[in-house]
Amino acid sequence: MRSDGRNGGVGRTRNQFPVGMRVLAVDDDPVCLKVLETLLRRCQYHVTTTNQAVVALTMLRENRDLFDLVISDVHMPDMDGFKLLELVGLEMDLPVIMLSVNGETKTVMKGITHGACDYLLKPVRLEELRNIWQHVVRRKFSNRERANIDGLEECHRPSNADFDNVHSQITCGSPDQSGRPSKKRKEYHSEEEDEGDDSNGQENEDPSAPKKPRVVWSTELHRKFVAAVNQLGIDKAVPKRILELMNVEKLTRENVASHLQARHLPHFVQFIPALAILRTDMFSTKYRLYLKRLSHQASIVAALGGSDPFMHMGTFEGLQGYQAFTSSSGLSSFSPQGLLNRNNPTSFVLQGMAASRPIQIATGNSTISHSIGDANKYHLSLPGNSRQQGSVAQGLTASVGQVQLSQKWIHEETDDLSSILSVNGLANGMPGTLQNVTNSPLLQQDLVECRQAKVVIQPSSPTSSDRLEGTVGVSSSLMDSHASQQSRLPLSAFSTSALPIDGSFGNKSIAELGVKPSGGTNICASSDLRVARDNKVGASSFGSGILVSPETAPNQKYLSFGGGSNLRQNMDGGNPDRLLDSKLVWSSLPISQPPSLIGSHHLMSQRPNNGSLGARLIGQVTPSDSTAAPQTKVDMFIPGEMLTPKNASDLSFPKVQTEFSSSSCSFDGLLNSIIKVEKDDASFSDGLGCDFYSLGACI
Amino acid sequence: LVLQGYLDEQFNQLEELQDDSSPNFVEEVVALFFKDSPRLLTNIELALEKYPQDFYRLDSLAHQFKGSGSSIGALRIKNECSIFKTHCNGRNLEGCRRSLQKMKREHANLKQKLETYFQLLRQVGPQECAVNSWK
Repeated sequence: MRSDGRNGGVGRTRNQFPVGMRVLAVDDDPVCLKVLETLLRRCQYHVTTTNQAVVALTMLRENRDLFDLVISDVHMPDMDGFKLLELVGLEMDLPVIMLSVNGETKTVMKGITHGACDYLLKPVRLEELRNIWQHVVRRKFSNRERANIDGLEECHRPSNADFDNVHSQITCGSPDQSGRPSKKRKEYHSEEEDEGDDSNGQENEDPSAPKKPRVVWSTELHRKFVAAVNQLGIDKAVPKRILELMNVEKLTRENVASHLQARHLPHFVQFIPALAILRTDMFSTKYRLYLKRLSHQASIVAALGGSDPFMHMGTFEGLQGYQAFTSSSGLSSFSPQGLLNRNNPTSFVLQGMAASRPIQIATGNSTISHSIGDANKYHLSLPGNSRQQGSVAQGLTASVGQVQLSQKWIHEETDDLSSILSVNGLANGMPGTLQNVTNSPLLQQDLVECRQAKVVIQPSSPTSSDRLEGTVGVSSSLMDSHASQQSRLPLSAFSTSALPIDGSFGNKSIAELGVKPSGGTNICASSDLRVARDNKVGASSFGSGILVSPETAPNQKYLSFGGGSNLRQNMDGGNPDRLLDSKLVWSSLPISQPPSLIGSHHLMSQRPNNGSLGARLIGQVTPSDSTAAPQTKVDMFIPGEMLTPKNASDLSFPKVQTEFSSSSCSFDGLLNSIIKVEKDDASFSDGLGCDFYSLGACI
Repeated sequence: LVLQGYLDEQFNQLEELQDDSSPNFVEEVVALFFKDSPRLLTNIELALEKYPQDFYRLDSLAHQFKGSGSSIGALRIKNECSIFKTHCNGRNLEGCRRSLQKMKREHANLKQKLETYFQLLRQVGPQECAVNSWK
């Protein structure tokens, strides 16, 4: 029924479309929400509203077929609208419309690059809402088209081109207007075929397809394909046998062979991109859409338990087309690797993919694709990182190269976020060196274990760079020690250099393990550690905050934790327990020693995992130690808005700006009293309670 | 309307939305606004008083307020919010304070005016409703 309604194979709903279109509206402002709801009802849509993004996500995740379209405010306290936008787009392939009072070009641009179908200004007018159904149609249509195209291409390049063409056709919408409805119907029809006779479909309706008619790899068909390959094992997955296993009529060996090579399966590859998460701005919407589509399929793949790396898919290749900047070479290298992405990781891929570089690295990691738990998670991390330009990607890639990572990652699965975030964090700065280092060793460790956000922290040791982003991914299993070590190492290195390195290692395990990273001061204070600048919030601790025992060993300045990153530093480890519970506990570490150190006032905010914001503990910088005296100003800034008790979505972190009001802080003036988390990358915890945050220290 | 200058066309839109199925829509929305906005104003005020000021946060609070206000068509409030935001960007504390005062005044003014307006409407009674529904 639902699918009927949705695909409208012959659904009555469809026929009446757009009447009855199901919209989910998300806005923290009750006034706006109400107005919006009424307006939508007036358009005869079916409306569901919520004022919390987290709730919206949950609803969507429970059943993506419940809605046709999502409208979301940009500015929300519990989660950044853009993040929600990306998540929804990636996970559920639903059109999302952004809404805001803010109509500046750059904000609108941001919306579009994050994949919004449209961007409306508040106050919203009825006429504008009347047209939003077009987005739904357009997307469905383009999805079908893409399916067609998939079948067509053998070679990636051309396919990209084709896809682009087609896609542009679709988006332009113009030429096929009249033809669209019929096409749509056809597509629906072919989709409906299911039962495994998809291949029959196929009428290849892609006008621009230069190739001869090919099989359309619909979801169903693809699922079988994947299952077959999985079953056979990557080694033995020869077309002939696959064909046999699939047992689909009219499917020829050639079809299978080309599909195998087609690399249109983004989901396969996705994982590695996690590293590549660093999304560059280049991230192409189209690609994303494409990937999203794939991600649907990917979910099927998710079912595959095989850890066998799949051939890397050509998604990257596909990406090439999209990415303007990407050097195709990067991708190509990538593809060879058998990256397996499981689950939706596809989303990742894309993001990171933007930088072709990352891809290269990814290639190194064939394994990466391993089952990444919920791919979704990964994506998330990626989006956050968008910042990073290629450099990051590079870094990542390098690290990614560590295949190990991938392996580990896979295990992580569960809560997704973990790895990805780490990746994101990398985005800035030269992560290259560090990351590599960190990555490899870290990854090794059990990333796998980590359940919940295994955030691999890659402390970006920006030796020189200003932006260091150390994403600390802490995988519970991660070896805290490793992580800490890792991070530490870099940090130490940095400490000298005023780089703000935020090595926040949120190790869940730490908490659990009670690991206080030996000398955990992850955060080498060298110059502002601004954590979580933009980065995506890595969930530092899954539950337990990452305690970074700030040992201020380094004399360097203390890192001021800025940003929502969950740096939790336990100074004295006294809080570890607590930290565990609360999400972020920022303990300001008094740097006692470091002479120049400014009392790091870290705002400690403890948030109990369970939501209810615990009283913000303001980690008063244990100024006692701090010699610096004035410095430690622990401002707790725990903004009331900060995560409202929902699962630790630490979105508010970003908001939380550590006010380091350390006037005296001499962080070289680095510590801005306000750490702006520009990015809204708030770590949102998916219920897992993991907060990911990537610390990015930007100088 | 009396409310010229205080409200803009968005308000008209809201009125148009009102009909038999939601007869008091406008009033409800306005009430909702006035219920929610004091909280925002208070937050802004608090944030201003805190030292050091968190301008980023102030800006986002103002953004919220602006969004709310514009949804009901409160033109002046919206404008004042923009001014406030400009001050925030310029880290102009004094300017922010002044602006906040204005915002509060506008807010109170509007509230009063709208209350009067609705009273009038009610007095006019069912006729008015009928007229509205014809829109």
